[in-house]
Amino acid sequence: MDVGTYVFIEFPAAVQSLDALQAAAYRLIGAATCQIDKTGDRWVCKLTPVSGSKEAPDTAALKTRFLDLVTDENLRQQIAHRTEGVRNVILSLAFGSLAGSSND
Amino acid sequence: MAGFQTVEAFHPAEGTLELLPFRFERIEKSYLVSNMVGDFIRLSGDELERIVELRMRPGDGLYEKAYAAHLIGGVNQKAKRQILAFRLRSRLAFLRETTPLHIFVVTLRCEHSCPYCQVSRQSTDRSRFDMSEETARRALDVAFESPSARIKIEFQGGEPLLNFPLISTIISLAKSKAAAVNKKVDFVIASNLALLDDTILAFCKENDVLLSTSLDGPADLHNKNRPRPGGNSHELATAGIRRAQAVLGPERVGALMTTTEASLDRVEEIVDEYLRLNLDGIFLRPLSPYGFAIKTKAFRKYGAADWLGFYERGLRYVLEINRRGTHFPEFYATLILKRMLTDRPIGYVDLRSPAGIGLGALVYNYDGKVFASDEGRMLAEMGDRTFELGHVTDSYRSLLLSDKLIGLVDASLTQCAPECSDCVFEAHCGADPVYHHATQADPVGIKPLSEFCARQKGVMRLLLDLLENSPQDAAILRRWGGM
Amino acid sequence: MGWHVTLSLHGIANFSSGVATSEQSAVVRLRSPVHSMERLPTDFVIVRSREDLQHAVDAKLDGVVIISNDRLEGFPEAAKLSRVISVSQKFEYLSDGDIIGFHPESKRFRTLYRRRSGHNSFLVTDRCDHYCLMCSQPPKDIDDRWILGEIKAALPLIDKETVSLGFTGGEPLLDWREFIGALAICRDELPSTAIHVLSNGRAFVRDEVVAAWVGVRHPNLTVGIPIYAAIDHIHDHVVQARGAFDETVLGVLKLKDKGQRVEIRVVLHALTAPRIVETCKWFARNLPFVDHVALMGLENTGFAIANADELWIDPIEYQSELAHAVDLLVSANMNVSIYNLQRCILDRSVWPYAPRSISDWKNGYIEECDRCIEKDRCGGFFTSGRPRRSRGISPILAS
Repeated sequence: MDVGTYVFIEFPAAVQSLDALQAAAYRLIGAATCQIDKTGDRWVCKLTPVSGSKEAPDTAALKTRFLDLVTDENLRQQIAHRTEGVRNVILSLAFGSLAGSSND
Repeated sequence: MAGFQTVEAFHPAEGTLELLPFRFERIEKSYLVSNMVGDFIRLSGDELERIVELRMRPGDGLYEKAYAAHLIGGVNQKAKRQILAFRLRSRLAFLRETTPLHIFVVTLRCEHSCPYCQVSRQSTDRSRFDMSEETARRALDVAFESPSARIKIEFQGGEPLLNFPLISTIISLAKSKAAAVNKKVDFVIASNLALLDDTILAFCKENDVLLSTSLDGPADLHNKNRPRPGGNSHELATAGIRRAQAVLGPERVGALMTTTEASLDRVEEIVDEYLRLNLDGIFLRPLSPYGFAIKTKAFRKYGAADWLGFYERGLRYVLEINRRGTHFPEFYATLILKRMLTDRPIGYVDLRSPAGIGLGALVYNYDGKVFASDEGRMLAEMGDRTFELGHVTDSYRSLLLSDKLIGLVDASLTQCAPECSDCVFEAHCGADPVYHHATQADPVGIKPLSEFCARQKGVMRLLLDLLENSPQDAAILRRWGGM
Repeated sequence: MGWHVTLSLHGIANFSSGVATSEQSAVVRLRSPVHSMERLPTDFVIVRSREDLQHAVDAKLDGVVIISNDRLEGFPEAAKLSRVISVSQKFEYLSDGDIIGFHPESKRFRTLYRRRSGHNSFLVTDRCDHYCLMCSQPPKDIDDRWILGEIKAALPLIDKETVSLGFTGGEPLLDWREFIGALAICRDELPSTAIHVLSNGRAFVRDEVVAAWVGVRHPNLTVGIPIYAAIDHIHDHVVQARGAFDETVLGVLKLKDKGQRVEIRVVLHALTAPRIVETCKWFARNLPFVDHVALMGLENTGFAIANADELWIDPIEYQSELAHAVDLLVSANMNVSIYNLQRCILDRSVWPYAPRSISDWKNGYIEECDRCIEKDRCGGFFTSGRPRRSRGISPILAS
């Protein structure tokens, strides 16, 4: 729902993590500010385009961009979750034995 | 004779695939992906989704693409994990050579008055802005406490040749210290070459000293950037370059340029000037926002987008020169390509995480103060002592292990910073706590607002585009990466 | 048509007497009659004519090898010689310093070493734990451990000036303790000879094998290990062994971690050549520290013939991929060679990496090659198996 130069986007709190919303908001810094509130069982994000040009801000593009960013952050969380174990194994293989001698 | 089995007999069993860590960036309709050691691959949205869900089968093409790129592996396989582990170790091996670079600011005096100069100019006859021999000796003590087997001592200023006697003292002291502890030392003098004479050249030849000078382009551009009483900076620089090349050999003379607003539209002329002077390549780098640059607002005169336009034009022009048969690398691309195409260390203190402040370089000021980088020293000239670590009377250990330095390095780690830690380019990037502190008052910086970040991403995207879409240029770029 | 060489390296002697051994085979070094050097019991003098025979009798020589179709052993003076082996004229290439392994019971013999050749290679065993689709030496499940004994007996007799020696199979490391023992003899008896071992590398996944290999401290030892793809199931399919890719790569990592010299080999055929760019890109990024990469044209012999439908690809079809792959490796500062492909079909950019490589005993050219200006630099063809040529073969007439 768009109101003037704001964009509101809602996400069901049951399936959308706050971390991902915050990370997406972080990537928007400079283009828009993002205020995240919780209303009932939903996250409500209010995006305000940063003023800087004389043209009217493209709220539809901003909304699409934010949705894409949130999708990406959700995917990042999924990947991190699925790879955490093997990542730790590889890191310990890489650096865990540095106390011993090595040929390189 | 027993029979042969078809390829299906060698497919991994159901459920034995594992996802390996990787990062991605949405670029229009497709995704740029990098694995745990920074190898790049492009995927469609559908391919990315299928890989994350492990919905691939051997022989479908996606399995092979993902397997070769280390995005997936077999849960019971060992080799791939070992490869990723040792490659990670190689990529961070630069940490073993702590502080290979030591910058000695032997004087602040200078006879030029360049608008972007990050050094506070003092007029030529005030020798209280020269480093003393006592200070130099103590600084050498600190430098030789660095555990690196090979160190580089770089002389800067002002104009360091104004204090040449001290340079020659430092070099001979350094050589005897190096021999005593079995270390190697290299020497560089960063000078405008206006004061070069036969004595200095003979000394440089005898002691294997590299000369590095500034050359911003053709005469009118260079002189506009570097005002000198007499207006002949370019004439003196080019004469100095030729003279130094004749005595030391062309491979011992290098030049660096600084891009100002006036340079932005003239990159081809700048490159041509470097070729005309028989220099072995060009380093296209942007302006830093320090010292006089801030006072004269010169740094604000172009942003990342302008610089990237300049850089792309310059790189394409350089590539054309290479395609015509002249080997002439662009050195910034070369550094990035080494990061992207190999796991070898690049020895460049300004693009690494953990940051190169202190850990990569120490700066000994004329007055004995020790700074974590040369830009950090310039900030101090303007009253900001964030990157001042101590004094030459402190030990190397106490300087490096100071809470101040550890805090700055720790805070700016790209491996942990917001956005950086997920960035598809992180494996080939670096922390620049000095830049972010100077522009955002914070060593990490908010990367969406950072022009450093925008420039880095822009250069890497350009190189990837060339590597993927321009076969002839790609072959040239690969050669640079292997140099 | 052109010239070609296909040497027989094994055969059956027409006659032997007085040669006895408690081993399954005796090692015999051939000596020319003019040598007056001190002779070992293993030295037999070459007799090619009746005149030679008479000289041998007069000199009271202890052992001779007759190389002739004239059955010289039939002449009466031959009876005075205590040990005689007689072989047909087919083996006239045998000369001073060459070594054969001779089985008195069956009269079978094999040429183990030819001093004038630049391509001496010992076959260590016919057994193998792989079953490569293109194997040029198909495995046999027999007990041939006596071969290593024969090799160990031959090594001290080899000319100390020999530049290089190869060890191949089957899989030489199946009996790794015995084999590594032979490497130690090489180190002691032939300290200036470079040793090149061909192995599938699986044994090196075991630390004890790596440790023994390292322990030889040989001054110039390289192992050539094939890796056929950047993909596990593709490599495993080519070598017909599950889990091969993972173990082979791990073995390479372990060897390089201990500073041993490793060469990676890729045989180019329909399963490996179309993806050679992906494979070499993978080598350049993940194994840039190997000492050499050998990219090899297919020898159409052994299993390669049985699997021709699956494996045959005209080499001309993958030349642009091959050139790109070589560029990737060279840009990564790796040493590369292309073996067994002809200059007329190779992209010019890779000519500097294509030495003459086919073993002298199975090498030849065709009639068209006589007009080719690159003939002297080109390796020519295999004469073994059923030679199958690219449609791109044609003489280069101008630069």
